Amino acid sequence: MTGRHVWSRVRETLRAARDIYEGVFIAPYRAELYREYLRRRDQFFLIAFADLVGAPHPIGFYTLELYPHLIEEFHQWHRRLGLEQAPDGGFRCC
Amino acid sequence: MTPPRVLFFGGKGGVGKTTLAGAVAVGLADRGERTLLVSTDPAHSTSDLFERPLDDTPREVLPNLQALEIDPTREADRYIADVKARLADTVPPRLAGEVERQIDIARVTPGAEEAALFDRFARILTADATSHDRLVFDTAPLGHTLRLLAMPEQLDAWTAGLIARREQVHVLGRMWQRVAGTVAAEAPDPVRDVLEARRARFATARAILTDPARTAFYFVVLPERLPILETDRAVRTLAKYRIPVGGVLVNRVLPDDADGEFVARRRARERHYRDDIARRFGDLIRATVPLQAADVSGVAGLRALGALLACDF
Repeated sequence: MTGRHVWSRVRETLRAARDIYEGVFIAPYRAELYREYLRRRDQFFLIAFADLVGAPHPIGFYTLELYPHLIEEFHQWHRRLGLEQAPDGGFRCC
Repeated sequence: MTPPRVLFFGGKGGVGKTTLAGAVAVGLADRGERTLLVSTDPAHSTSDLFERPLDDTPREVLPNLQALEIDPTREADRYIADVKARLADTVPPRLAGEVERQIDIARVTPGAEEAALFDRFARILTADATSHDRLVFDTAPLGHTLRLLAMPEQLDAWTAGLIARREQVHVLGRMWQRVAGTVAAEAPDPVRDVLEARRARFATARAILTDPARTAFYFVVLPERLPILETDRAVRTLAKYRIPVGGVLVNRVLPDDADGEFVARRRARERHYRDDIARRFGDLIRATVPLQAADVSGVAGLRALGALLACDF
């Protein structure tokens, strides 16, 4: 067995160990983290634009100026809800 | 001790807020203080009082005195136009039409003009103090005004909450990117910047409004039952918002030399209410202004009335 073979076996083993570690510990955490990120983003969206769902709030007029920056996030949000088209009555993007 | 720079005149509808605010503003201007008189009542009468047209830019009505009437409709239109102008830079063209449509809908929602009026009010209040030594606000009837003055606190709290949530989103987004191995360069969050700028203005307005060295709210009251009761409640509401009360001005008191049996009967009634005013407001009473034989109007009339006020603002 040459030294090169030994090293390639070691590298393979390390790679497999990393994949197992990744699959067991990181992947579920990553998915959960992503879900949490989306949840928080939706919450922010709902609070900034509560008037879209019929709940009046004091800064509705001032959050208008956020529209231009949030339109893409809004698009992702309604797609995630399973709506291909933006719901009518709120602000629309497609 | 220098008196507060910002004066408010408020009270129940029809008690003479505009006239007394005008008289005080003329008095300040006459003694050399550069004064800005601002009407926040959408049903403006400042231009009637000065017998000349006024609008939403400061107009000189006499040396050292400028006046303006905030126009909520124009303020709301201006704000909408401003938001739309910024859309061009940030929204992809395919979305621009829909976003504009939504903004037009928001323009007509209840509260839009009130918010726009507050925005202008806050800008005047927080503008740097170099152009005017004194600000005199002639306010809308008490209900509206109390809401207006309570707005900085509520809006500040709301905006702070939104900023905190936005920050959570930002932190989680960055954590996720790191775990996913897609971490990009730290990008500024324009949403957060917009919210922070808003909040800074609300906080400054609130700091000015609650500082007795900078703000005084004067109530105008008549020796009549309903104005007394409403003012009594409003004094306590202002205390709740920590807005300093400068005092109470008792307006349209029957002059001592008015005669006749009818007047004598009115005076007996008035005595009762003046006692009530003294009991409720005590040492807050700054001036007692007699009822005039003729309407007070124009700069000369306001000057004469100002002399009767005999109170230092």
